Amino acid sequence: MDPALTAPGDVADLAVPESVASGNPAPAGRWTHRHLLDVDVLSADDLDLVMQTSATMTGVLARPIPKVPALRGWGVTILFYEASTRTRVSFEVAAKNLSADVVNIAAASSSVTKGESLIDTIRTVEALGARMLVIRHGASGAPYLAAEHFSGSVLNGGDGWHAHPTQALLDLYTMRTHLPGGTVAGRKVVILGDVLHSRVARSNLWALTAAGADVWVCGPTTLLRGFETWAAAGVAGSRRFTVTSDVGAALRDADVVMALRIQRERMAGGLLPSLREYAARFGLTRERLGLAKPDALVMHPGPMNEGVEIAPDVAAGSRSLITDQVANGVAVRMAVLYLLAGAREGAARGTRE
Amino acid sequence: MSVGARLADLEITRAWLVDPASSREGPGEIVVTDGILQAVTWLDGAEAEGVDASGVIVTPGFLDLHAHFREPGNEDAETIATGLAAAAHGGFTAVCVMPNTTPPLDEPSVLARIRDAVAASGSPVTLLAHGAVSAGRAGLQLAALGELADAGVVGFSDDGAPVHSASLFRNALAYAGMLGLPIIDHAEDTTITEGAEANEGLIATVLGLRGWPGAAEAGAVARDLAILADVLRDVPGARLHLTHLSTAASLELVRHAKAAGLPVTCDVTPHHLGLTEDWIAGARRWSWEALGDDGAARDPWRDGAITALPFDPSLRVNPPLRSATDAAACLAALADGTADAIATDHAPHTEVDKAVEFGLAANGISGIETALGVVLAAVDAGRLTLATAIAALTTGPARVLGDRAPGGGRPRGLIEGEPADLVVFDRSATWTVDAEALASKGRNSPLLGRELSGRVLLTVAGGRIAYEAPED
Repeated sequence: MDPALTAPGDVADLAVPESVASGNPAPAGRWTHRHLLDVDVLSADDLDLVMQTSATMTGVLARPIPKVPALRGWGVTILFYEASTRTRVSFEVAAKNLSADVVNIAAASSSVTKGESLIDTIRTVEALGARMLVIRHGASGAPYLAAEHFSGSVLNGGDGWHAHPTQALLDLYTMRTHLPGGTVAGRKVVILGDVLHSRVARSNLWALTAAGADVWVCGPTTLLRGFETWAAAGVAGSRRFTVTSDVGAALRDADVVMALRIQRERMAGGLLPSLREYAARFGLTRERLGLAKPDALVMHPGPMNEGVEIAPDVAAGSRSLITDQVANGVAVRMAVLYLLAGAREGAARGTRE
Repeated sequence: MSVGARLADLEITRAWLVDPASSREGPGEIVVTDGILQAVTWLDGAEAEGVDASGVIVTPGFLDLHAHFREPGNEDAETIATGLAAAAHGGFTAVCVMPNTTPPLDEPSVLARIRDAVAASGSPVTLLAHGAVSAGRAGLQLAALGELADAGVVGFSDDGAPVHSASLFRNALAYAGMLGLPIIDHAEDTTITEGAEANEGLIATVLGLRGWPGAAEAGAVARDLAILADVLRDVPGARLHLTHLSTAASLELVRHAKAAGLPVTCDVTPHHLGLTEDWIAGARRWSWEALGDDGAARDPWRDGAITALPFDPSLRVNPPLRSATDAAACLAALADGTADAIATDHAPHTEVDKAVEFGLAANGISGIETALGVVLAAVDAGRLTLATAIAALTTGPARVLGDRAPGGGRPRGLIEGEPADLVVFDRSATWTVDAEALASKGRNSPLLGRELSGRVLLTVAGGRIAYEAPED
């Protein structure tokens, strides 16, 4: 058996098709997770491995033909129960770059509308040959149910308010690529906006605190509900962060500012008086950004409401990494697909999670 | 011997008897002949030596104030027959079913159908029914309260569709008071729980589940108590029972109301006293094991207490599983008499309704067969005395029902000369909660796979065998 990529940084090895045909394409013993359901189970070493592998994939993407045979013959099904362009296309491009056979299922066009249960859908997808499943679902926890009934690997593409692991990983990768020293440790990272409803915020909290960042979450009190409790609990030991509605205090001397999308529905729910008021008090404007460090990075998971949570000139400004995030998304998703495929050995040994 | 047969003759020697009606517990013996409890003998001195509360225990049959047997209308989830069998397996000899059937029990003909099903089941377990408060449980106008009372219901409740209108609730309390029956309220202000999935707090926040604030319950309890106080001026017979209270705050309100002399009673469920919201995150420890020395809930992640996958839909229940602090308050309320009863809120569901995404799963836990085991776990941990636990399953709920309790309000005890109505269980014998071990059609239990102590050996209802454990 070809142990293949023992050194994940070695791009040349990715071109070896036997590494996949052997069913053992990844660095055995280092990546043990069969699924990627949440980032809370990832150790600092796991995060480093994803970062290194993502760097490898960035190298692949820089080639004239950005394609490797690593997942040739692998069926990857992308099952999205929520509308999405960015994430779905990113996964699709990532899987295709690895030569996987990709099937896209949008819930609206499938038998889901005929009342088929998630479990039935998962079994069907598996029967049709999928070995990896990327799922996005409006209900928090749905990927866990999928993982229980799928014999391959499940990748959480975003579930309810709960988690969006690949977004957090690509955000971390983007920060590490652009921060001096290549690390977020000790850096002040501000997550600004609708934290309550945000799976991006939750996954970033886990990933960034695990990586040692000084994380602040900021927004109106109605959109921070519960987070003071979380911050006070300091879940998982040392993972602490700061919660505030004082946007000035949050932004002061920040190294990274990540604005989150504000959805119109929040007004109907009585959580905000108006988008205008939100923009005035919490919008990431050039003036507010002046409170942060001069070279502070600006991020947004998209899609943006320009003029609401982020001013157009900030979004398009020189510090903005928003298009880098999109490009890095492909590399990070390639890395994750690649690592999960390699964990099949571990899965065969009964390793879960 | 088979279910439904008269218990011809039974002699249990050297057991531990618990008889809340006479406030006695200790070593003793019972003799049943031809269905009648002929003799209850309390042992003392040398005779009592070596008999303690760790072995075979005999108590009066349990009475459940709150269960869902789904018939008529949802017989795929449970039937009267399977519900009664499950009750007997859990040690219950009388069960009050809720009216949220299809059609709902808002007029007497539905009760007649239920009684036919009881008769056809052959089970000797007594089935009592709560009628609906409002027609169609729609919260707009009163159900046929008087006709339902005449037909024999023991209380009125819209349960999971709590009466939203304060005006209708006031009228219901007054009218039911005239009939001498309690209103049994599922206290929830649904304007603050729309779409709610898990107790608002650390676990819901971390898991991204829609928060279910404790204020939804305490606010409704406060409203109910305020209305009760008003109604009493005109209707001294008005009575309020608050079912499945789950928060420290609402139990504190009841404590104060009782101290002020209001005719209010309440129950707590086994799952709210034994389980916590942490289970949704994947913890599987009892509530008292999740409590810090300072009385605050411990962090399951920090403790390394996460041993299962998160989002198990069998844990979705209304009211939601709360914090370890709330669970401790439920136990404390039983100990000081604030809570009168342990009621199961047995809520069986089909796999179709339950094996789905957490937020889409039907609310409810199939719990009538595991109630004793959970309660005994609390007793084993020293969080509840055996006497209090058994009283909360027998005399406590009987007091809530007053003269409509089985036996016309006579004490629910080990009474010589009466038809035997009792449960025999072995405190030291364990059983594993697996789907095949359950008589209920509802396999929606978060305790599947868990070992519980207090295996029921025999349940006798009205002198007839309701459940008998298979020979080992």
